Amino acid sequence: MVGDFSVGKTSLTQRFVNNVFSDKYLTTIGVKIDTAIVGDDKLIVWDVAGRDSLSPINASYLVGASGVILVADGSRSNTASGLLEIWQMVRKRIGSVPVVVALNKVDLDGWQIDDHSRAILDQQGWDVFATSAKDGKNVEAVFNKLVEKMNSKDS
Amino acid sequence: MSEIDKLSDKEERRQIDELREILVGENAEQLAALKQRIEDIESRTRDVSEVLAPAIRQADSSKLVASLQAPFALTLKQAIRSEPQEYAEILYPVMAPSIARAISQAISSMLVTINRTVESATSVEGIKTRIQSMRTGIPYGELALRQSLLYRVEHVYLIDRDSGMQIYQITAPDTESLDGDAVSAMASAIQSFVRDSFSQDRSAMLTDFKVGDHNVWVAHGPKTMLACVILGDAPESLKGELYTALYKIRTDYALPIADFDGSADQFDGVECILQPLMQSRLKDNQSGENRSSRRNSIPFIIIGLVLLYFAYQWFTHNNKLSTVEYFLRQTPGIAATDIYWKSGKLVVEGLKDPDAKAPYGVLEAYDVDRDVLEFRTIPFRSLEVDMELQRFRNELTLPRGVYLSVRNEVIYLYGEAPILWLNSNDARIRQLAADGRLTISELSASLESVSDLLRTSFSKSDLKDMRMTSNARGELIVLEIGGTFEASKLALLSALFAGSRWVMVTAKERAKGGDDSISNQSDSSAP
Repeated sequence: MVGDFSVGKTSLTQRFVNNVFSDKYLTTIGVKIDTAIVGDDKLIVWDVAGRDSLSPINASYLVGASGVILVADGSRSNTASGLLEIWQMVRKRIGSVPVVVALNKVDLDGWQIDDHSRAILDQQGWDVFATSAKDGKNVEAVFNKLVEKMNSKDS
Repeated sequence: MSEIDKLSDKEERRQIDELREILVGENAEQLAALKQRIEDIESRTRDVSEVLAPAIRQADSSKLVASLQAPFALTLKQAIRSEPQEYAEILYPVMAPSIARAISQAISSMLVTINRTVESATSVEGIKTRIQSMRTGIPYGELALRQSLLYRVEHVYLIDRDSGMQIYQITAPDTESLDGDAVSAMASAIQSFVRDSFSQDRSAMLTDFKVGDHNVWVAHGPKTMLACVILGDAPESLKGELYTALYKIRTDYALPIADFDGSADQFDGVECILQPLMQSRLKDNQSGENRSSRRNSIPFIIIGLVLLYFAYQWFTHNNKLSTVEYFLRQTPGIAATDIYWKSGKLVVEGLKDPDAKAPYGVLEAYDVDRDVLEFRTIPFRSLEVDMELQRFRNELTLPRGVYLSVRNEVIYLYGEAPILWLNSNDARIRQLAADGRLTISELSASLESVSDLLRTSFSKSDLKDMRMTSNARGELIVLEIGGTFEASKLALLSALFAGSRWVMVTAKERAKGGDDSISNQSDSSAP
């Protein structure tokens, strides 16, 4: 799980792994690890601390990743455009791995992802989901899609 | 062999050659070329070099490794022997940090061992162990080590360093199972975090950390790491065992590690290497825990005994002090103002009559030794009845028939006293009576003693003229002299009883004359 700070990576993970959501914001320090079973597969989710202007994503947490969920905050369009930069960094570190995009906080008013922004993401060939950790919308779909892509790559 | 036989052989050979020429005539050149190619070493070498690289690529990896292991090892050894300096320089960047770590580990282990040895050697348990060692003949170190094994390895994780994925996990029986994947990933993440955040040296590793009662020790290899979750404090030697196991895994499973894709299928048998790390000595552990709890309780027992001792001392001291205070208060002639313990002595401050006697006998019965008491008193004269009584007894040396008694806090000197004793103590007795310290209203001279005195001084005929009677209150003897008494005898009589308050002399004849009776005005008013 990578993306800018406060886009909802931990909330998405917690919603998926433990089916819980909290409005309280707790910044992740370093990385938080959870596991979840998806079908016959066991997913080890590395919820990496978000990027901000002072702290880039710690690339050492990416080593060994089999797939990446890029997370952006739909109410902050710059976090979506920043995904391209993040992806460059990820690919440089671990190569091309299966990736899906979660545009989170779809439940909030002030959605800023317009068609143009969406088109840019789609052009990358990514599967893009508008998600909400709060009400659970598309959360499972994001993870399931990633697992599906990882499995199809293996085969 | 005969000549005929030789000719026959030659003919046979010629016929075979002719037959061969007929059969392979056209391919003979090719065969010759092939033969030459096989026999020509240069040509053969060229051929092998062309196929060697693809052949290695296509070969069965495990078989190839097995085949090459011995010659490679031999080659490497010879190469290092021939050019050690060059290889040392090549390996230095790799080996130096590892060696430094190993040395640091060894020193750390040694320090811990020394600390434990010192601790165990100076503790009660250590002394007991030493005695046990002497008794049983088992080396002290071995016994001490047994006692220090207060740990239990609960989980061992073999982790792929790159991915942070768990390769293999062993959990001790009866231990709560953890999510090995999460633990492995977290161990890897922590490792990255520590390396990125704390250390300038990129090769530095997190080797152990503590979670509650559990210690987690991590041994690092180039591609894998071994994380060991230990309940309690394991000996440092276990770290060495961790590295030994990791080295063996690296050697035996080099290819599966290099090709690790998340599946542990190719790691069959790795459990045999990890299992010895699961050091669980429950019996030793339990007894160790008991010993430990006993050892832990020893200071409390000692403190308890010391407190008990002080409490006992305080109680006995206080008890003795109260006893002394009580009996001194009962003792006449001693007025204690303060009693306290000082330097093992029971100091009594106050006033003390020189005639007063400390009640040593009674106090000794209460376990208060005579030497313990130290009087720091100011001498004084006590007017307590008992002291006065004692003082009068000592001073007056009471004759038979004379007694001292106390009635209503008043001291009485009473009885019939010998006239001579009365005469000699008269002044003192009268003074005491005048001071109000003594009441002598019931004291009188005995008739017998007066009679005896007269018999020694006068003849029988003289005595016939004398008559003694007691006055109405019985306090005064009246000696009445009748007949004719010579003046010299009268003078003698006067000398005997002149000034006496106990005997009054009256003369009948003179009484008739009205002016010659022997009497003393003060006597008439006597006591």
